[in-house]
Amino acid sequence: MRPFVSVEELGKSYGALSVFEEVGFTIDKGEFVCLIGHSGCGKSTILNVVAGLDRPSAGRVIVDGSQVRGPSLDRGVVFQSHALLPWLPALKNVAFAVRSRWPRWSDAQVVSQAQKYLDMVHLTGSEQKKPSELSGGMKQRVGIARAFAIQPKMLLLDEPFGALDALTRGVIQDELLQICAATRQTVLMITHDVDEAILLADRILLMSNGPRAGIAEVVENALPRGRTRQTIHRDPRYYALRNHLLDFLVTRSRRYRNGAGSEAARTTPTELLPEESVP
Amino acid sequence: MADSESNDGGQREEVNDERLTDDAFIERAVELAILHEMLPDGPSRRELLRAVGKGAVLSALTSFFPLGAAKALAQEAKGALELKELQLGFVPITCATPIIMADPMGFYAKQGLKVNVVKTAGWALIRDKVLNREYHASHMLSPMPLTISLGAGSRPQATYVAAIENINGQAITLHLKHKERRDPKQWKGMKFAVPFDYSMHNLLVRYYVAEHGIDPDKDIEIRVVPPPEMVANLRAGNIDGYLGPEPFNQRAVYEEVGFIHLLSKELWDGHPCCALGVPAAFIQENPNTFAALFRAIATATVHAHKPENRAEIAKAIAPANYLNQPLPVVEQVLTGRFADGLGKIQNVPGRADFDPFPWHSMGVWILTQLKRWGYLKQEIDYRGVAEQVFLATDARRRMIEIGLPVPKESYMRHEVMGKTFDPAKPDDYVKSFAIRRS
Amino acid sequence: MQLAPGIRAALASLLLLALVLGVWHLATLPKASRQNADADYAALMGSPRSSLPAPLQIAQAAWLQLKSPFRNGGLNDKGIAIHLAWSLGRVLLGFAIAMLVAVPLGFLIGSSPFAYRSLNPFIQVLKPISPLAWMPLALYTIQDSSACSIFVISICSAWPMLLNTAHGVGSVKREWLDVARTLEVSPWRKGFHLLLPAAAPTILTGMRISMGIAWLVIVAAEMLVGGTGIGYFVWNEWNNLSLANVIFAIAVIGLTGMLLDLGFAGLGRLVAWQE
Repeated sequence: MRPFVSVEELGKSYGALSVFEEVGFTIDKGEFVCLIGHSGCGKSTILNVVAGLDRPSAGRVIVDGSQVRGPSLDRGVVFQSHALLPWLPALKNVAFAVRSRWPRWSDAQVVSQAQKYLDMVHLTGSEQKKPSELSGGMKQRVGIARAFAIQPKMLLLDEPFGALDALTRGVIQDELLQICAATRQTVLMITHDVDEAILLADRILLMSNGPRAGIAEVVENALPRGRTRQTIHRDPRYYALRNHLLDFLVTRSRRYRNGAGSEAARTTPTELLPEESVP
Repeated sequence: MADSESNDGGQREEVNDERLTDDAFIERAVELAILHEMLPDGPSRRELLRAVGKGAVLSALTSFFPLGAAKALAQEAKGALELKELQLGFVPITCATPIIMADPMGFYAKQGLKVNVVKTAGWALIRDKVLNREYHASHMLSPMPLTISLGAGSRPQATYVAAIENINGQAITLHLKHKERRDPKQWKGMKFAVPFDYSMHNLLVRYYVAEHGIDPDKDIEIRVVPPPEMVANLRAGNIDGYLGPEPFNQRAVYEEVGFIHLLSKELWDGHPCCALGVPAAFIQENPNTFAALFRAIATATVHAHKPENRAEIAKAIAPANYLNQPLPVVEQVLTGRFADGLGKIQNVPGRADFDPFPWHSMGVWILTQLKRWGYLKQEIDYRGVAEQVFLATDARRRMIEIGLPVPKESYMRHEVMGKTFDPAKPDDYVKSFAIRRS
Repeated sequence: MQLAPGIRAALASLLLLALVLGVWHLATLPKASRQNADADYAALMGSPRSSLPAPLQIAQAAWLQLKSPFRNGGLNDKGIAIHLAWSLGRVLLGFAIAMLVAVPLGFLIGSSPFAYRSLNPFIQVLKPISPLAWMPLALYTIQDSSACSIFVISICSAWPMLLNTAHGVGSVKREWLDVARTLEVSPWRKGFHLLLPAAAPTILTGMRISMGIAWLVIVAAEMLVGGTGIGYFVWNEWNNLSLANVIFAIAVIGLTGMLLDLGFAGLGRLVAWQE
């Protein structure tokens, strides 16, 4: 069975400078994949290319059998800074997206869909508030609701919680987990928060540093689905995984100048903690 | 009766009789036409007329045909106005007195015209609005129809001086600080203002200083300034004096800024100033309307000429709708009893005067001066152009019709600052000046 | 006693105004009677007065005008309310025409760098041309002087609206444009539902400035038309060297301009948004 999303030999360079090259990975339907790396490795660019907002210098992206040539309603995006339209209240912001997806729906249908997703992010009662009247966390939730409301084939999140404080972040992470579970969404998310990756992702892609960055490691999340923030750190495998990821970020990412290519090594760090997995 | 009822065999009665007035002429024509229609057979008609007389036949016919109405209709048709409402521009100076006063004093209404006299901001605008036909006719400076017809400073369009509006009525005003510098020989380096390049004001001030040996282009500076700004500029010291239209000379005295140095009457008694400028197209397309307009303005002009009417006219034209000037100022201009700015009251009844006749010789003089100063560079047929633009012959005919006095000639010799101008020798005249540009 | 700061400031303004008026009044008291004035001569010279009108004279002139605002004294003499109505009508018409051209054009220039680069030279050359320079050209080509004054108002007031619209549209946040892209929003919906509300505050600032310019231009433009309009009124009174009436007219012009500006400021507040 072909994978739902296939990223093949992706590269981006500006003139002589190569940001990343030979990046390749797949995502199965319903899978939640996180991409972790230092700044400058080009992870946001990869996300934008998958979204269709940017074009690669090399390689291609296939989603559900068709090549990505530009942005589409099939691939919803949650931006790092919510990107809400400030003159519209929360409900209308979500409705704008809903209307874009289903232009022939009646007003009542649009409102009902928008309301449903706002309820899902626990913003019931704040529908008429404009973004300037919402806190950072609430704004990001609206952004999430907006992305989900169009029921896209896949969802792309670009460090969505980077601007939030730790407490708010935690609460929204829970909500995101719940929605993804409920909708069985295919997700690609960028983060540099290791704990977040372990909580949310089924698989974690580790990128080496730029220039000429690439996917250095692919780590399966040993912790099974049904993770919760409250209990995750009690799992014995948690810290091993966490250490592995942190070590990568602190030391190994520098060493892996060249990406691991399409056949990135899959590692399960609980027993093995491999030193090198570079081909 | 002058028609030949005594004719035999096929000859038609005729109405030709020089002794008949226009109205009687028409009446007879109508009578004959109807007689012919009702009784087409010549011999039997004449038989009847011989037997019972014309009067009896006509009264019998009246029961079949409304003879009276037919005559009245024919009268109206001859002089029917093509346009009943006209737009006339004017600049709010006393030169336009006949044009302005004809509105409140009923001269237009008497001719069956409704004339909207529209106050206009300047001469260039007047020219443009006449050229683009927003005005049917307008108050103009008398050189303007010449320059517009010749295409100097605008696209050429045949425009005529149908009548002169005013004669004399201008003055040279100087700043009070020049009380002791009234000899033009002392005026080197001073700045003067005139309302427009193609104006009698410009031509007269140039003539005046040139006669005193001052070159108006090299020794002094002459600027074009709108008349109300002349007073303000004088007060501010931007100009030393001006030859401008009234009431702005008297106004300078009234505002205690300047004094009247010389009335234009002293330069050339009887000089033309402003005119009723009419595009040729208007006259061709609306001959009856033009005739009525001429009648209205000519009679107003003659009415204004009489000194006993001046006070009343001042009251009529001073308000905001027309000149918008203080009444005392306008009165002093029109009655000729005025304060001169130097502490004396002067009495010059002919200070401003009104005479409609557009002498051809006036046109020639203006053309010679325009040529003298280089405003017109081409060879000019002085008499030809003047005769075409200054409608002396036409004015004469019309003025006779309404019983106004007119000169027999259209050319006369004019005295300008003691020197005679002979319109028969325009080229010699131009060449006779020491200071000139051509 | 402690007064609220706003009231204190207002009192200070009033005091300042009274001071200015007082000094002005003293400065314009007529000088001592003329020396050696012959009674007849003096009669012809009118009552003594200073060249700059005193505040009382201006108040008198103002009162006379305000007493009969709808006066119709003839073709060239109308009441101040009639003049104002004419001027406002012309300004609003000229402004509306300018708006209908400038805002869409601004959208085009703001969205397309190519359009911007090709049209910019023309804009830069035409923008600084004064209304007094446009008038003769306009009268020569358009011929009808009423249409001409409207044209002059339009062409002079269009630029701030044009440039502000272009700027507003051109600086819409990249993220919002990306949102529109990922939602596959059609160009029409994008223009109307995204670009327009996003750029609206900037556009309205442009309109506010444009209206100020349009109102400024009427004095020049109305000298063309003759008979009506506050610009014509200024010129007519200037012709009579009646500075008192001119100053009154200036006050009316200033006040009306201020009200127009306030109106646009209010509109600006309606479309303003905060992030």
